[in-house]
Amino acid sequence: MLKLSPAAQKSANLIYHFAQRETKSRYKRSLLGWFWSFANPLTTVAIYSFVFGVVYRASPPATENGNAENFGFFLFSGLIAWNLFTGIVNGCMGWLQSVSDLRKKVYFPTETALLGGAASNAVQTSLEALVLVAIMAALSNLSWTVVFLLVALLFTIAFGLGVGFVAAIMNARYRDIFYLVGVLLNVGFFLVPVVYPVSFVPEQKWGLPIRALVEWNPPALFVGIARDGVYFLEVPTLGHLAAASAWATLTLAVGWTYFRARSMDISEEP
Amino acid sequence: MTIGQITVSDVSKRFRLERNRPSSLKEALLRTGRRNIDDFWVLRNVDFEIEPGSFFGLIGHNGSGKSTLLRLIANIHRPTSGQITTEGRMSALLELGSGFHPDLTGRENVYLNGAMLGLSRRHMNDAMDKIIDFSGIGDFIDEPVKIYSSGMYVRLGFAVSVNVDPEILLVDEVIAVGDEAFQHRCMDHMNLLREKGCTIVLVSHNAALMGDLCDTIAWLDHGRVLELGEPAPVLEKYLDHMRGGGTTLTTRD
Ligand SMILES: Nc1ncnc2c1ncn2[C@@H]1O[C@H](COP(=O)(O)OP(=O)(O)OP(=O)(O)O)[C@@H](O)[C@H]1O
Ligand SMILES: [Mg+2]
Repeated sequence: MLKLSPAAQKSANLIYHFAQRETKSRYKRSLLGWFWSFANPLTTVAIYSFVFGVVYRASPPATENGNAENFGFFLFSGLIAWNLFTGIVNGCMGWLQSVSDLRKKVYFPTETALLGGAASNAVQTSLEALVLVAIMAALSNLSWTVVFLLVALLFTIAFGLGVGFVAAIMNARYRDIFYLVGVLLNVGFFLVPVVYPVSFVPEQKWGLPIRALVEWNPPALFVGIARDGVYFLEVPTLGHLAAASAWATLTLAVGWTYFRARSMDISEEP
Repeated sequence: MTIGQITVSDVSKRFRLERNRPSSLKEALLRTGRRNIDDFWVLRNVDFEIEPGSFFGLIGHNGSGKSTLLRLIANIHRPTSGQITTEGRMSALLELGSGFHPDLTGRENVYLNGAMLGLSRRHMNDAMDKIIDFSGIGDFIDEPVKIYSSGMYVRLGFAVSVNVDPEILLVDEVIAVGDEAFQHRCMDHMNLLREKGCTIVLVSHNAALMGDLCDTIAWLDHGRVLELGEPAPVLEKYLDHMRGGGTTLTTRD
């Protein structure tokens, strides 16, 4: 049995509490809630598959064995990381806000609300990932490289939390940060190669190396690594892995430090 | 440091009051003119130690900083300067419904409170019946606490607080809201906790009650400790002062 210090034990209890609460509110009305949580990524996949696969007649990016060569799978394998990222960033702002009144009356480490919420999102994403992997297995498009899907999701969680920690504190101070972040994430969805492969991006445009910019930004790296592992069945390049882990750890460290420095001020916000 | 001890060393607390404080990024960016900041020192150089197992009272005029001091001890706010250390499991009853999330049911809130105190779910399961029983709120335990009456809030809050074996208990006059019978029960229970060695800090305007209960009393005036010591002499000076018209609540300067 793992033995934790009293403070760590207390944080663990609280994280569990907040994770459970988030999961419960998601699965309210049980089966239907379960269905709705899948409906969102599924409709996104369906719409883009239709637009690109049917209307534009784009052929899905080729894979080694061709077994699961389908625009929908290509999309879903990247979307899973992107949605986890946006879910955590948006969530962090809401989770902190939902406990801020409570925190004005009683002390508890506020980061537990964010960590608990993120844990709940991670569980949800794991379920989606299991569904994806099961389909891939059924189509015999599966190899050990699937571990990189897991790696990508872990990086995404770390990076998303880092961004989310900062966004949540800023949103507690300025209430329109939430909308600003929403707009930025919408833009990000198209700037990150989720619906198109990086190779479609011209190398240079307006005097900018835009392909490199698209390829090396953090969410794009996570999306790419997830896709390498579960769609292309390739080992991601060492460069991508190194850059992704650097982004993830650095962002998490900065976000955590910032949050810890500012979280005591939450109780003094009017 | 021994369990139950509270050390307040040279603590000052400043609140920043900013008129027309921008609440959105848009306002902040579009704002013209200077920032209008008022500093308000709620506590100044407060310095004392509370012995483990003692019953400590805080008195003072409205706005003297009693509740703020309790919040600092409870770690809700951070002192602007100075330091506060506490040792042991601390339970705080600072205001109506403190520690309750309005959307959760009473039962869910009991679990949340347990988690905030570092108690396991199993421990809370064991304490649950006692808590429901003590609070006397019956079936309302499974209703969201936002529909509770003030008295019910206090009852449940107190029931949780005293049934989780606190080593430090902070109480800010909340018991005044309960009915006579409940107030008696609270007194009995506070005495019981005290016999168990729990350190209790109580804020109240009821001088007679404070005289009966406390081992030590601190008198706060405009954020400073004016007197500290045995209840009788401190209370006497305090009451003399209040009879003489008390302190006028000065505006913030
Ligand atoms: N979050 C805050 N921001 C700004 N000022 C505050 C804040 N909290 C308390 N104050 C101010 O600090 C002063 C002391 O307040 P406090 O609640 O500690 O007084 P008190 O001694 O408990 O009074 P009472 O006997 O009325 O309960 C008051 O002038 C109050 O307006
Ligand atoms: Mg008060």
